[in-house]
Amino acid sequence: MTVATHRAEPVRRRRARALSSALAPAVFLAPAVVLLLVYLLYPLVDSFRLSLLAWNGLGETARYVGLENWVRLAHDQVFWLSAGNNILLALFSVLIQLPIAIVLAVVLDEASHGSRLLKILYFLPLLMSSVAVGVLFKNVYDPNFGPVNSILEAFGLYDWTQDWLGDPHLALASVIAVVCWQNIPFYMVLFLAGLASFPRELNEAARLDGASEITIFWRLKLPHLKGTFRTAVLLAVIGSLRYFDLIYIMTGGGPDNASELMATYMYRTVFSSFQLGYGSTIASAMFIVVTLIAAVSFRISRRFETEI
Amino acid sequence: MKTMAARLGALLCGAAVAAALPLGAHAEDKVITEWDLQTTPGAVAVIRDAEDRFEKDHPGFKVEDSHILNDAYKAKLKIAFGAGEPPCVFSSWGGGPLREYVNADQVVDLTPYLDQHPEFKDRFATASFGAATTDGKIYALPAENTAVAAIFYNKDIFKRLNLTPPKTWDELMATVKTLNDNNIAPFALANKNKWPGSMFFVYLVDRIGGPEAFAKAVDPAADGSFTDEPFIEAGKRIQELVKADAFARGYNGLDYDIGGSRRLLYSGRAAMELMGSWELATIRNENPDFVDKLGVFAFPAVEGGKGDPNNLVGTLGDNFISISKACPYKDEAFDLLMKLTDDTAAAGRLADKRVMPLKNLKVEDPFLKTIVKMVGEAPSVQLWYDQELAPALGEAHKDTTQALFGLSMTPEEAAAKMEEVAKSAH
Repeated sequence: MTVATHRAEPVRRRRARALSSALAPAVFLAPAVVLLLVYLLYPLVDSFRLSLLAWNGLGETARYVGLENWVRLAHDQVFWLSAGNNILLALFSVLIQLPIAIVLAVVLDEASHGSRLLKILYFLPLLMSSVAVGVLFKNVYDPNFGPVNSILEAFGLYDWTQDWLGDPHLALASVIAVVCWQNIPFYMVLFLAGLASFPRELNEAARLDGASEITIFWRLKLPHLKGTFRTAVLLAVIGSLRYFDLIYIMTGGGPDNASELMATYMYRTVFSSFQLGYGSTIASAMFIVVTLIAAVSFRISRRFETEI
Repeated sequence: MKTMAARLGALLCGAAVAAALPLGAHAEDKVITEWDLQTTPGAVAVIRDAEDRFEKDHPGFKVEDSHILNDAYKAKLKIAFGAGEPPCVFSSWGGGPLREYVNADQVVDLTPYLDQHPEFKDRFATASFGAATTDGKIYALPAENTAVAAIFYNKDIFKRLNLTPPKTWDELMATVKTLNDNNIAPFALANKNKWPGSMFFVYLVDRIGGPEAFAKAVDPAADGSFTDEPFIEAGKRIQELVKADAFARGYNGLDYDIGGSRRLLYSGRAAMELMGSWELATIRNENPDFVDKLGVFAFPAVEGGKGDPNNLVGTLGDNFISISKACPYKDEAFDLLMKLTDDTAAAGRLADKRVMPLKNLKVEDPFLKTIVKMVGEAPSVQLWYDQELAPALGEAHKDTTQALFGLSMTPEEAAAKMEEVAKSAH
């Protein structure tokens, strides 16, 4: 469309067009904006409001208590313990899941034709529901009948057999191992997608120049994946800080709060202890913690990106 | 643009109207919603039968029931009440959580209705209303079952090792030693769920201090507290058991819901389990051959304790049915409650191996007979603490008891923690 025809248009029609071109995006965006407002912003703000109440969530019994819940939270050892557990989970997710996922992705990508079956196999854990995975691994870890201890016993390693989920020192680690097992395929797929855009010519040129596979991996593929890597770190950190399902199913946060996470503690506070006010305080604090740590890891991963 | 917006608006309105229409109900039907946590076919059939009889007596009424699994049910019920759209008729476990709803003015006082039907009310065992009563008013009807905790044991193992069911704590400790000497774990315990371990604590407090110890600790007006001697002593006895290796390996991580404790019994690796009497029905379903080996005895007496060794821990009623204040048809809803707990429903439940807490129920099954006899002879039946206590305190009780079992808290610390939570609740 040229400027000339624009000028030729009557003023009224031009105005209508301008209006409609302003209106159209608004109309198309409106559903998403409304959904975000109703299901994201409102609950977020409202849970801050609820955190100022002493309320069991039933009827007109709410009592305004100011910052009392927040003071209690600051002194609540279980909350800080669970926040620490969340950070451990995030740390191990990044340190264990991402390297294994990268290696798997590179190897599977290299073996492109024969790897289809393996890709599906490795992807399976992600397709299973967390409840099924949790129940499965509760049986795997069973200290009396589970295969883990049975295998150790078969090799005569009686001292290595453990009470995997009942020992407060091991419960969290045992669940983290399963979390990694379940989530590695997700990051593997992410990195596979990243590698799909790795230029073939570059690979061939490097080979002609006599670069080994390892050099290609470190010097070419890894730098190529830095954007994907950064996304993966963020997803892993945020996902770990909000984590709930396998802990809830496998240990319930126990024994003696040893594997408690912020989300399971919040759930217990609201639905088992009937403390909606204090539960909302935990939820709001969780939001703050997640936002802060996500921002920090975003920063760090950006610096990491420029240094490569 | 305009026509498009209008069309979009019409579409949205249509969708809203469609969403607002109740599914499956005729416009002229008055709907009574009923929520419960019975999910086995036998239990659901009894409830549906009562509802069918109700619909027959009340033309124009329709009962829409939902049967939901325990944990999901508790969350769903709480959200429904919080959102101001509770079901008309709902089940609970009575005790502390029901009192939360009562104190929030959400539950209909059933006392006047029951006073109008004295012959109906008098059928129930008097003690069964305990978990449904707040300030002398009855807010629910005991409905499903009578369940008490007792020690299930493998008769074959006891016979082989010349053991007899221990009657006192010292005898129990001797039994524990004999079993350990023969490489059999004395108790199977699945304490990931926390309430199975709590049964030991509740029994010990009752045996040591009598039912008054607990009654005084929960009553803010009385001079008792959770740091009283019976609570500390109960914690000590639990840790005495733990230190004597009385529990099969992994007890604090085993999950009751996936049979973590029962498979120890089935395989003969453990000899005993303290559990609610429903365990027999579960074992009958899971492993019918094992039932022949199964015996049961009462929790042993503690030497020098104040509690009567015939006292029991358990529930008379199991589930309790109430009416929400938001229900528009309260009178009809009470009639539905009567249908759900009348003699026909009781007979249906009995056929399903569940005993409603009624005075004149004819029980044939030998095992159920034992339970009914035990309850009949018990001077007191203490409701599970995690049901009786206010929810926050009940959680604290379960947490501290699990810590006692894990030896990560001393009895004194656990007692102090309980009293701290109890104080902050008042």
